[in-house]
Amino acid sequence: MDERGEATMRPEPMPASAGIGLRAQHHLEVLSGAPRVGWFEAHSENYFADGGAHVEALMRIRARYPLSLHGVGLSLGSTDPWDRMHLEKLRRTIGRFDPALVSEHLSWSSVGGRFANDLLPLPYTEEALRHSSARIAEVQDYLGRQILIENVSSYLQFNASSLTEWEFIAGVAAESGCGILLDINNIFVAAHNHGFECHDYLQGIPRGAVQELHLAGHSRVEFEGAVLLIDTHGSPVCEAVWDLYGAALRRFGEVPTLIEWDTDIPAIQVLEAEADKANALRASLHAVAA
Amino acid sequence: MPSLRSLQTDVMNALLSGEAGPAAALIALGGAAASASPARRLEVYRNNVGANFIDSLHSSFPAVWRLVGEEYFRQVARDYHRENPSRSGDLLHVGRGFPAYLAKLHGADQYRYLADVARLEWLCEESLLAAEHAAMDLERLRGLAPSAYAALRFDVHPALRLFESPFPALRIWEANVAGDAEPEPIDLGAGSDCLAITRMRLKLTFHRLSRGEFNFLDSLRGGDDFSEAIERAGAGDDAFDAGAALRRFAAAEVIVDFSVPANPPSA
Repeated sequence: MDERGEATMRPEPMPASAGIGLRAQHHLEVLSGAPRVGWFEAHSENYFADGGAHVEALMRIRARYPLSLHGVGLSLGSTDPWDRMHLEKLRRTIGRFDPALVSEHLSWSSVGGRFANDLLPLPYTEEALRHSSARIAEVQDYLGRQILIENVSSYLQFNASSLTEWEFIAGVAAESGCGILLDINNIFVAAHNHGFECHDYLQGIPRGAVQELHLAGHSRVEFEGAVLLIDTHGSPVCEAVWDLYGAALRRFGEVPTLIEWDTDIPAIQVLEAEADKANALRASLHAVAA
Repeated sequence: MPSLRSLQTDVMNALLSGEAGPAAALIALGGAAASASPARRLEVYRNNVGANFIDSLHSSFPAVWRLVGEEYFRQVARDYHRENPSRSGDLLHVGRGFPAYLAKLHGADQYRYLADVARLEWLCEESLLAAEHAAMDLERLRGLAPSAYAALRFDVHPALRLFESPFPALRIWEANVAGDAEPEPIDLGAGSDCLAITRMRLKLTFHRLSRGEFNFLDSLRGGDDFSEAIERAGAGDDAFDAGAALRRFAAAEVIVDFSVPANPPSA
């Protein structure tokens, strides 16, 4: 295999029509039913294996649809040395599936060799900004391509933070040269949990940097009389998030949008219907602008 | 202001132990959920971390889950997690030490078969994720002079795993891995297991082995040549037939390739 050749290959750009998150229980349906979605996004780590049914299924799905690879385990913001094995598997996976987009989360999940396997928020400090930017630049060098970084949902923030989340993510994109995957639901969840304005967030993100949008459902949990929003990805996108998505489309233009659903995964038709809704909203805004 | 390193260390300690500790003082209050305390906010993450870990073990060990029941599985998984936090960004790896952990817990009581069922499940998982390999080119083998056979090195399929147990672990696994019906009781004395686990194309397959066949495959996968493998196989099994074994395992795609040594010994 010519890895160099694979790394420099230019896949077709992602269509603006909505995609859906690919989960293993839908592999067979996708292959037999050819659902009418623009593209699929797969979690990179789920296809790290040397071989087997999942890798085989994604190969066949990739032959029919554009693909985005979305990592959940790289621990970009960690102060540990890189997990070289993880980076190498990510590079191999990109070489195999030739995705149009590759993304990771702006978060950390490991320190001292121990992994939480969860997307933990960073303190929004100058130190963390420099550190994260340097790490992203290293990953991009290693992979030989630009990656997108996603804003995470969060349930706590740190006293040490001196920047807003949007200043932090915009700063990291500017310093590292990465693109941004803006998760609209995560903005909504974090805004509620931490008390900021969603529209301030959108205004703080530079127009040209956003290359993908995520939409998902969340749930409400009551703690000690206070309501926290939790990013469960187990329900339809709520109306307030659709409204915020409209505002994001007006600001960032026709950006590929993904419907994510990870718990209590429904029939694929439910995901198709959510993708249709995103497409309809995009089309209506586009018609007004034209 | 704490360094990023020290902040991360305090938060990880809080998530993996039960105590907020110094992390609580790092956390700001605010938002519509202002009254949720730092400890409660950390608990949201701690619950996620624990649930993700246990879900991963559940998906690797569905038969063990069914055999011991959800409540006990969760309890054992929590204890195992505390002693063996994840060491990788890929949760799939966390089950590697689980069979040995069960052996430590139940190695000497009436549940000592559990660790063997868990070991079988882990080997199945490994087999399912192994690289693909085409079947052996038998024409190429037939083209060799019989005198060249002794020095050949046969390659086994990357998905091959060998499994032994004094219990009927495969029957227990098969009865518990899927389906809603209450499994038939299985007599723990009803035979031991000596198995090759592999994949035919994408599907898991099991082959029951004689002692000689087990040693033969174990020898080949360790890199011994054909004559050495035959010797090891025959040592504990007078009935071992090398030609029959080779045909059987080539047809089953357990043996998938061979190489001819560059300088065959002049014998």
